[in-house]
Amino acid sequence: MTSAVIIAVVITVFVLCAIAIFLGALHSRRSHTVQRSVDLKAFRILMDRGDENFLRAKLSRNAFFRLKRQRTKVTWGYVSRMSFNAKIVLQGAGRQRLNSNPRVVEQAASTIALAGQIRTQCLVAYAKMTTEYIFPSLQFTPARLESQYESLRDSVARLASLQSQDSTPVAVAI
Amino acid sequence: MAHNALISVFWVLSLVLNAGLVAVLIGTRSVKKFPFFGSYAAFTLLASALCYLARGQGPRYFYVYWVCEGISVLLGFGVVYEVFGRLLTPYPALRRLALTIFQWSIIVLVLMGGIVLFAQSAAERNQFAAAVMIIEEATRIIEVGLLMFLFLFSTAFGLHWRQCVFGMALGLGIFATIELIGITMQNYWGASVQGSFAVIRAIAFNISLMVWAGYLLVPEKVVTTAEALQHGQLEQWNQVLTEFIYQ
Repeated sequence: MTSAVIIAVVITVFVLCAIAIFLGALHSRRSHTVQRSVDLKAFRILMDRGDENFLRAKLSRNAFFRLKRQRTKVTWGYVSRMSFNAKIVLQGAGRQRLNSNPRVVEQAASTIALAGQIRTQCLVAYAKMTTEYIFPSLQFTPARLESQYESLRDSVARLASLQSQDSTPVAVAI
Repeated sequence: MAHNALISVFWVLSLVLNAGLVAVLIGTRSVKKFPFFGSYAAFTLLASALCYLARGQGPRYFYVYWVCEGISVLLGFGVVYEVFGRLLTPYPALRRLALTIFQWSIIVLVLMGGIVLFAQSAAERNQFAAAVMIIEEATRIIEVGLLMFLFLFSTAFGLHWRQCVFGMALGLGIFATIELIGITMQNYWGASVQGSFAVIRAIAFNISLMVWAGYLLVPEKVVTTAEALQHGQLEQWNQVLTEFIYQ
């Protein structure tokens, strides 16, 4: 293959990726923004490596792999929910940047920072979960999502209390 | 002949739409808010008019077209920078991270553009035209890549796009992507696809103009948040455990 053909192929793939990303962005703008609650207690159990080690010791290899994959699927759902809620919080707190009350602005900034960290952690968690789903024998250090998510809840609650007179308080049911 | 007639129709249409876009920008006082985009819209109008006047004049048209194209690509980068700034204004905490990734993306894209610049051989016979087309191909790769980065970053972090800023990025993305496809096709197949590409480019530019004007004119949606508790995943986990226990 000549270099011209290779470049044409690479650019075609690049352009297809660009089109997919643009369409994805257009689609995500249309999707509804409804936050969903997360049961942190259940999530904690799912992320418990001791629990996983116990199952690994007690079950046959195949049964453990099947269960691990199912656990990963459910964990994926929880992480998606956290990620989605962090996104809603990020957007809501972003809108408070122009609030007349400087305390609200300050609280919104720290909420944004936390929500941003959670989004990053969720991306890391997705990568780890994908690998663990493909290779169930692997066991990565679980992402520190749970404690950060609790901090986000507190931060959102503080922000909501500061803007209690506001007609559209930032998400409080996460 | 059919190509020429179609191109003329789309050209005139783009002049009308572009003038409309400039009027919308002035009317909504968006020029002050988006100086790069305002300059880009005004310049593309001027460039289209100049090219229209110079059409059919051989070398004069060639130089007018490529000089205008060069300036509009530079202004396009300005628009990308403006979109980047506007997108991250409400999120100062994410700005540093975004800036770091943005800089790395620029390095990677410049490298990619550089590879294209050295490895690509245009089918165009005129050496100067071939060089210009390869440079344009490389710069369009950088432009499309930066827009891809903006959309990916905003999706990854769930950033909220303001209506008009989203429209700017989307319109520029559509046009730059089509331009990149066209220029690659031309570099590969030569002048045989020039006519078809000119029509597709004109259509893409008109679509971008409509996207820009549309997003500037449509009022911003008020986002409402509502609570919706869902227990689907817990139930799923319950079901898995039940199946396991009763195995």
